[in-house]
Amino acid sequence: MEMSIYGYKCIKCGHVQYPYRTICKNCHKNNHNEFEIVPLPKKGKLLTFTHLYAPPSDYEVVSLGLGIVELEDGNRITGQLKIDQPQIGMSVAGRVEVVRRDEYNKYWGIVFYPA
Amino acid sequence: MRDVYAVGIGITSFTRLDYPLVEIAAYPGLMAMRESGLEKIDHLYVANMGASRINHQTGLASAVIDNLSLTPAGAEAIENGPASGASAIKQGYMAVASGLHNIVMVIGAERMREVNNLEATDYVATLTHPMAEYIYGVTLPALAGMFTRLYMLKYGVTARHLAMVAVKNHRNAMNNFFAHLHEEVTLEGILDSPEALTNNPIVADPLRFYDCCPVSDGGACVILATGDIAKKAGKPMVRLAGIGQATDTHAVHDRKEPTDLLAVREAARQSFKMAGIEPGDVDVAELHDAFTILEIAESEEVGFFPRGQGHLALEKGETSLGGILPINTSGGLKARGHPVGATGVAQAHEIIVQLRGQAEKRQVKDARIGFTCNFGGFGNNVVCLTFVKEG
Repeated sequence: MEMSIYGYKCIKCGHVQYPYRTICKNCHKNNHNEFEIVPLPKKGKLLTFTHLYAPPSDYEVVSLGLGIVELEDGNRITGQLKIDQPQIGMSVAGRVEVVRRDEYNKYWGIVFYPA
Repeated sequence: MRDVYAVGIGITSFTRLDYPLVEIAAYPGLMAMRESGLEKIDHLYVANMGASRINHQTGLASAVIDNLSLTPAGAEAIENGPASGASAIKQGYMAVASGLHNIVMVIGAERMREVNNLEATDYVATLTHPMAEYIYGVTLPALAGMFTRLYMLKYGVTARHLAMVAVKNHRNAMNNFFAHLHEEVTLEGILDSPEALTNNPIVADPLRFYDCCPVSDGGACVILATGDIAKKAGKPMVRLAGIGQATDTHAVHDRKEPTDLLAVREAARQSFKMAGIEPGDVDVAELHDAFTILEIAESEEVGFFPRGQGHLALEKGETSLGGILPINTSGGLKARGHPVGATGVAQAHEIIVQLRGQAEKRQVKDARIGFTCNFGGFGNNVVCLTFVKEG
């Protein structure tokens, strides 16, 4: 099964927001949970990025690639990067993988690779 | 509404302090009471972010008011991330201006070095969006790194400009007894020499070690009161004339223009409007330089310099001591230090010292109007204060 990151489509105005908000940021008109859950596109362009050389203690890596991607539908998402030499504006494609583990839990999120 | 004045101030050294958080908070309170001659207060606000998580202590304000033997005055703690300090001052202002209280003590205190650096950074990272940012390993330095990369590309800011902020603020801190880092740095040492990469390693590229504030312990206090009480205290009359506060999206990626700090722009606008002044009237400012890029970006957003020209003003020395608008004379977060909950109060402390004319070697000549920008989260909750010296 291919996993996705989901956005929240307002049933009043059709705007897709990510992450979740109780009230639609676009029309402010919907009530609690009046959203349709829709998968976000996985392809997009890299807007900005960093290599974090002081990653949190849950990570056993020297540096952690992080970036903000503008997806094909215009939504933006923060994710991890597995790209050797990232460039602003490059095309990227995401996969849902485990992005963090602590003592008790695994957390799933989007990881971007060169498209 | 009644006018509100700063009648007493106090501060600890910002460094690693090996005594309990309650005493880090109480000591500047004691100094402020001694200085103003006040022995009783009506209310206490304590700004703090991490006591329950880092110091295993809740109900901090109740502990501090008892430690100062000021019971039964009311007391409460204010948590608003790294903007807690200025938020607490705002609460103090509202209490005095409304007539509810006549004398309010505002303390900011934090003891972050009770845990190691990784834990301290992780606790600050809990400010980020839990599902859209935190789970990916995003920390505040990571958000600042991504912001800096775009800012450099868009406005031509270079690593040299960032290093110039560090050099300036470290130099200012040399003349501030209470600053965390008493260590002059040079462009050669942190940027140009072959050793620079060792001295100044990359933290979140393009940000390097000397682009980031230290993790500090420390406390600061400002006592706010009515005009009558301020006159009796006998210090130069410094009025809290303007307050502004604004918010922005929780997840940074949600902002239409990722290099805009809209909450800074709006909070500053409100603060200047309330004080009835223009940004150009300000004589001295403390901006929230948790990362060097933020001093440059904020100096534009609050309206001191046109968009994209903050780094040029810095280059010309306009923001250095002796320039037209000295910024972060205390050393800023960069070198005075950043005990998160205390920072907003420490910024106000520096401005009050400057407006009173007590800043000695770092004194800005004839300073009459001072401004602070206290920046919470990555710009999602910002409080700006304007102080005016009267008489």
